[in-house]
Amino acid sequence: MGNQEIQPKIPRSYGLQTPGSKGVAGKKRYAMVIDLRKCIGCMSCSIACKTEYGLPLGVWRTWVKVVDKGKYPNTKRVFMPRLCNHCDYPVCVRNCPTQATYKHEDGFVLQRYNRCIGCRTCMVACPYNARHLLPEKRTDDNLPRMVVDKCTFCIHRVKKGLVPSCVQACVGGARLFGDVNDPNSEVAKLVATETVTVLKPELGTSPSVYYIGADWEIMDEPHSYTNRTDQMVDEFNDFKRNHKGDAFADIIEGEPLMSEVGKNWMGFLRTIPHKAKETLHAFKIFLFD
Amino acid sequence: MEESVVTYNAFHHVAWGTTISVYFWLVGASAGSFVISSFGWVFGLKRYKPLAMTASATAIVMLLIVPILLTWDLGKPVRFIYLLIPGYWHSTGPMAWGTLLICTYPMSMMVYSYFVIKNDPTFARITGIVAIVLALSTHWYTGVVMELNPGRFLNHTALAPLLFLTGAFISGIGLMNVVVWVRNFFLPEEKKIDWALIHEMAQFMMYGIVFDIFLLYLDFMQTTYGNQNEVMGHDVVLMQVFRFPYLWLELVIGLIIPLILLTTPLKRSKSVAILASLLVAVGVYGMRVWWVMGGQYLQSFY
Repeated sequence: MGNQEIQPKIPRSYGLQTPGSKGVAGKKRYAMVIDLRKCIGCMSCSIACKTEYGLPLGVWRTWVKVVDKGKYPNTKRVFMPRLCNHCDYPVCVRNCPTQATYKHEDGFVLQRYNRCIGCRTCMVACPYNARHLLPEKRTDDNLPRMVVDKCTFCIHRVKKGLVPSCVQACVGGARLFGDVNDPNSEVAKLVATETVTVLKPELGTSPSVYYIGADWEIMDEPHSYTNRTDQMVDEFNDFKRNHKGDAFADIIEGEPLMSEVGKNWMGFLRTIPHKAKETLHAFKIFLFD
Repeated sequence: MEESVVTYNAFHHVAWGTTISVYFWLVGASAGSFVISSFGWVFGLKRYKPLAMTASATAIVMLLIVPILLTWDLGKPVRFIYLLIPGYWHSTGPMAWGTLLICTYPMSMMVYSYFVIKNDPTFARITGIVAIVLALSTHWYTGVVMELNPGRFLNHTALAPLLFLTGAFISGIGLMNVVVWVRNFFLPEEKKIDWALIHEMAQFMMYGIVFDIFLLYLDFMQTTYGNQNEVMGHDVVLMQVFRFPYLWLELVIGLIIPLILLTTPLKRSKSVAILASLLVAVGVYGMRVWWVMGGQYLQSFY
């Protein structure tokens, strides 16, 4: 019964989008339960996801966070697979200015590339870092570029009766997927019988990714900053130097802040040629096709 | 004590950067300048009428840069048109409303300026009232667009729009005083704007500075007495990583030094009034930087 706090007491409705469907009779509500007692940190889920969607370098729809605890010889490594929480009350959906992101009636929070303008409002709104901007350079010109992308709970597989690719690939059987509104589903039984937690429950987003056996420190946002290894600091700095997005406000630690702000401005200016090319291409199609 | 270290995590970018902070500064300075422009024609303070066109022109120029910046900051610049098409437009998205305001505000200012040039007090007053509502709403919205992100603890405060509006008011006055000072160099004596007006504007600016410091104090209390994330936001983001734009640029250069300059007998000097105005205009940019980038900083490690 310790799970009642993860269900908001006051239902919210966010504008034009599908209202919350968790616990609503006659509605499906797909959810994922991740049993962290079974996760071995093999990252198969990340690879399966990358392969399923041909994700470019530097962006993830799902990843596994790792925390090392204790002092030698009494040490423990804990994992936390992360992905979009497909919130019942998603802030990203509410804040999107063009309805590019929306909530499917079965609970999936999805992105429409053809509507996305790349304003990144949803990335700012998402409390879970679950969204990323697809880069300008892709291996195939037909792939979406410069629009926001996110986990879809593999809706294309689920609609065919399959489970998401990360669930399929999980070697320990830690990831489970199903309709949490169906009392006979495995996920509903686990949510009802196990002590489950969600990320940032205080924000009222009602996430649909439940964790069993989560370590409190790995869930904690300030801990992610204060308890990084020096190697993590260096790697993140290298990532910021080498994975230049368009007009991102990355601050390299140890560098003077205002010089980073200036470099960020230069990054914005560097986007002019490729955006101009795309703009001209769009006008050409509009006028001549 | 047991050690606990993060050894692997995915890396994330901070989504909104310098472009957005510059946009917030520009739109704020524009709204602030326009408020000054309306003093004479909307609020009936006749001695401010000579300032109206200079202030209005400053506001229009500031705001004309904004759509270029914002459109080009989009991943798909051509698709900016989606923000205006029914069926795409999303009423719960603050940016959707902001787009309407950014489109209508400069137009309303131009109509107002037309009636000011035509010396038509009735229509200048009516269009001025509409324009001032739009000016304040346009800048109020910039605070709201950051505020309505519950996951960004530094931004998620109802003080945000007030801080933005106060910053707009003082930076608008500051910028306009500098513009008037430069303008006076190039105009014949009879067309120069009286220095007494500049001093009065500087006094208004001083009241705004006091209110801004008060709001920052309230924000300081909330963050230092807040939850773990808010405390981290203050201790790490504001006092360490963004120390320069927050502590030095905004608080010291943009607020405290100008306040000292404007509350001592030094304020009677022209140079001091202009220096204080310049410092305020520059200092408010510091607030835009830490507010936009700082608010998103901590979460990029989560």
